[in-house]
Amino acid sequence: MSEFDIVNKSYPQIDGLNKATGKTEFVSDLVLPNMLYGRVLRSPYAHARIDHIDISKAKSLRGVKAVITYDDTPRIKFGPRSEDWTILADGKVRFYGDEVAAVAAVDEDIAEEALDLIKVEYTELPAVFDPVEAMKPDAPLVHENKENNLAAEFKIEAGDVDQDLKNSYFVYKDRFYTNQVYQAYLEPMGALASVDLSGRITLWTGTQIPNMMRITYAKALGISLDKLRVIVPDYGGGFGAKMENNVHLITIVLAQKAGQPVKLINTRFDDFVGGNPRVAMYIDIKLGVTKDGFITGKDVHIVGTNGARTVYAPVIVATACYRPDSLYRFKSVRAIGHTVYTNTVPTSCFRGFGNSQMTFVLESALDMIAEELNIDPAELRLKNGIGENEVSIHGWKITSNGLKDCVLLATKKANWNQKRKKRKFFRGIGLACCNHVSGNRAFAREFDGGAGIVRIGRDGNVTVYYGESDMGQGQKTVFAQIVAERLGVPLDIITVEQVDTDISPFGMGSFATRGTLMGGNGVLKAAEDAFKQLAAVAADMLQAPPDEVECKKGKFFLKSSPQKSVSFKEVAEMATFKRAGAPVVGVGFYKPPTELPDPKTKYGNISPAYPFGCHIAEVEVDPDTGQITVTDYVAANDIGRAINPMAVEGQIQGGVAQGLGWTLMENMALDDKGKLINPDFLDYVIPCVMDVPEIKPILVEPVDPEGPYGAKGIGEPALNPVMAAITNAIYNATGIRIKELPITAEKMLKKLKEMKNKIK
Amino acid sequence: MKIPLTITVNGERYDLEIKPNRTLLDLLREDLGLTGTKKGCGLGECGSCTVLLDGEPVKSCLILALQANGKEVLTIEGLGKGKPDPLQIAFVEKGAVQCGFCTPGMIMTAKALLNKNPQPNDLEIKEAIAGNLCRCTGYNKIVEAIKSCAASTKR
Repeated sequence: MSEFDIVNKSYPQIDGLNKATGKTEFVSDLVLPNMLYGRVLRSPYAHARIDHIDISKAKSLRGVKAVITYDDTPRIKFGPRSEDWTILADGKVRFYGDEVAAVAAVDEDIAEEALDLIKVEYTELPAVFDPVEAMKPDAPLVHENKENNLAAEFKIEAGDVDQDLKNSYFVYKDRFYTNQVYQAYLEPMGALASVDLSGRITLWTGTQIPNMMRITYAKALGISLDKLRVIVPDYGGGFGAKMENNVHLITIVLAQKAGQPVKLINTRFDDFVGGNPRVAMYIDIKLGVTKDGFITGKDVHIVGTNGARTVYAPVIVATACYRPDSLYRFKSVRAIGHTVYTNTVPTSCFRGFGNSQMTFVLESALDMIAEELNIDPAELRLKNGIGENEVSIHGWKITSNGLKDCVLLATKKANWNQKRKKRKFFRGIGLACCNHVSGNRAFAREFDGGAGIVRIGRDGNVTVYYGESDMGQGQKTVFAQIVAERLGVPLDIITVEQVDTDISPFGMGSFATRGTLMGGNGVLKAAEDAFKQLAAVAADMLQAPPDEVECKKGKFFLKSSPQKSVSFKEVAEMATFKRAGAPVVGVGFYKPPTELPDPKTKYGNISPAYPFGCHIAEVEVDPDTGQITVTDYVAANDIGRAINPMAVEGQIQGGVAQGLGWTLMENMALDDKGKLINPDFLDYVIPCVMDVPEIKPILVEPVDPEGPYGAKGIGEPALNPVMAAITNAIYNATGIRIKELPITAEKMLKKLKEMKNKIK
Repeated sequence: MKIPLTITVNGERYDLEIKPNRTLLDLLREDLGLTGTKKGCGLGECGSCTVLLDGEPVKSCLILALQANGKEVLTIEGLGKGKPDPLQIAFVEKGAVQCGFCTPGMIMTAKALLNKNPQPNDLEIKEAIAGNLCRCTGYNKIVEAIKSCAASTKR
């Protein structure tokens, strides 16, 4: 029997029935009295000068309440990482989809019609779409003041790579390409904005970073922070994309201009062309090994696509440069990452944050090395895998570590040894590992950690306030479980409030697989504080010292004589009476033992805990069509102690399906003018139920010393190993290694034909 | 120009005047305030807007409201009689709901399947929901939830 009542148990989402009955109000469902509908006019060119904009006809259309261009915005340069944003285009458009003007009208039809009436004269300019091309001296400049289109350069080095590679028995060298893909959450981005008489703005939006977004947006609007309130209702998925985006700011400016609330939800087209898709990367790798398979040095050069303005691409390229260095015992590593402006949609976070790109490359390289050395790929990982209580080459303090168990359990479940030996034509099995973080000190620079507020009113009901963001992964349920466990009450008396920057703690947000650990610890500390206050009252009622008092299943009792008890509700009522109506409010925070990495060496422990994983894919390749089918999938993930095993399984299965889509199906395709040619789900195909096999999750649960009840995160490591697991399986099936994602049937067929011709 | 429309939604009859280009989806969401039906793409490609029109699953973003004249529409809000439908409960309990945005459309599609075929096998379930996209769950738990609602007769 478990030592816990509520955590480490599978519960459905606490708000699940509201979602399943249609009662949940998502961002796009919200309505305010007198509300207008907004739409954005986007650039039809990848790079052009705006010579003239005529909005007069649009303005005079009946039902139109506001039309805005750059001149109507505060005209401030801003940005989450680099001040290369303006709210609307400032005389120049820099990507197909760039925001030129916007309209608010009484209904969507009129807003749409008004867009057609805005006349923009452009002079097209030479454009560049590929980051390697963009670095060349004669390439067109995306921003005149950014030489060579360089948005950022990242360098990291530890040990003597040149020497280690020179002394290696074998060095694997190759170039890989990971393409640009779209997060494809089912609810498009958007917002509802309202401005009160004092000019104070309320913004309802689905955002993973309500507090950090608020800081960026206050700057963009030229207002002080207190003039902007951000509320996060339920929203339909994020996967990294739902951070800063101009659509929110445009909604605000429209509401200011119209003097009425404005709702602006992207059409799916808008979301494709103006969202925050994944950073595409060219990755060159040199990876050395000894004769008996010990990894020596790794040398990497990455060129990543920033897009036309900087969202988070530079930190994502940096992450690709060094995160998997803490997966194995490297002797030496070196990486240079260039993030390069291009006339394409700005790129940003997508589950994996650069680690997924590099894990694909590293784990593909290891597969080739295993073959070269004639070592089993699983054996090679076990030989080199970092262990528990080790410090990695960049100073990451690995504490709990289930990597070895992940490999052993996954290979056992997938029947790896037998299947690798018994080769079948066009069927294959492949394996890949990954590491990740649970919070990233290098990203959250001001401070690290999480906080919570737990309020218990007279009625004994518990309300939890947190500062991260539940984008659908079930964070609210996990936090409710943690609080219920600590207070000793049933789950159904807990409500978790939506994040509201006026009320909730200042949370960093949901990214870097940090929610459960950081936010979970925050609400745990708050619950502890509330418990202490209630225990003092209960102790009075039971006439015993407070440390004699415990609470389980909604009853306070004495440890020495459990039959002496008083209900949680009675205690809450007494506490409120004693305080003249004041509720019990527990406040708490968690400050993790992380370090801001050294600016030069990047040495320092960036996360309080590190999750690991090992995935095994089986594929079937149709030799006549090139069609690749994933037939079986085993995913072992070290997640610390699972707060909610069913939710963890859901994260794993969802992450694997996304990775499968990226590997085999998804690609944002541009024409030679930089126009996205597949901005809808008919042409940009994401996995449907037919594409996804049974995904068998294995939960490896070493109790983590820092995690709440020992938990670590799962969001991103659910996806990180997928691309290499599948491509390694394809290699096992065919002997063909395609190094540019995605591996479509078309690409596969071409390679199969080439191979056939060679044999002839 | 507005055109009269008579439509029954979740058992309630409405006599309305609407613009001819109004989609059934916008009618439900904007005019009747039934926001349980979601708009994920507006192009009939994601399935989030699925409702039952005279018992048949349709993508309400592709149907003009006037095409539903004189017909009966069932939306997620109308499912179950006073208490949640077993499908709604199964989706929640099996972990088939994550962000929940695809859930109403997915459940309506599943409902139409079970109405016609109370004991579908796995492939029949998958074929039925192949036009409903979900980006959170990887579908495994959705199939499981629908399967658990299939008539309990031994198969």
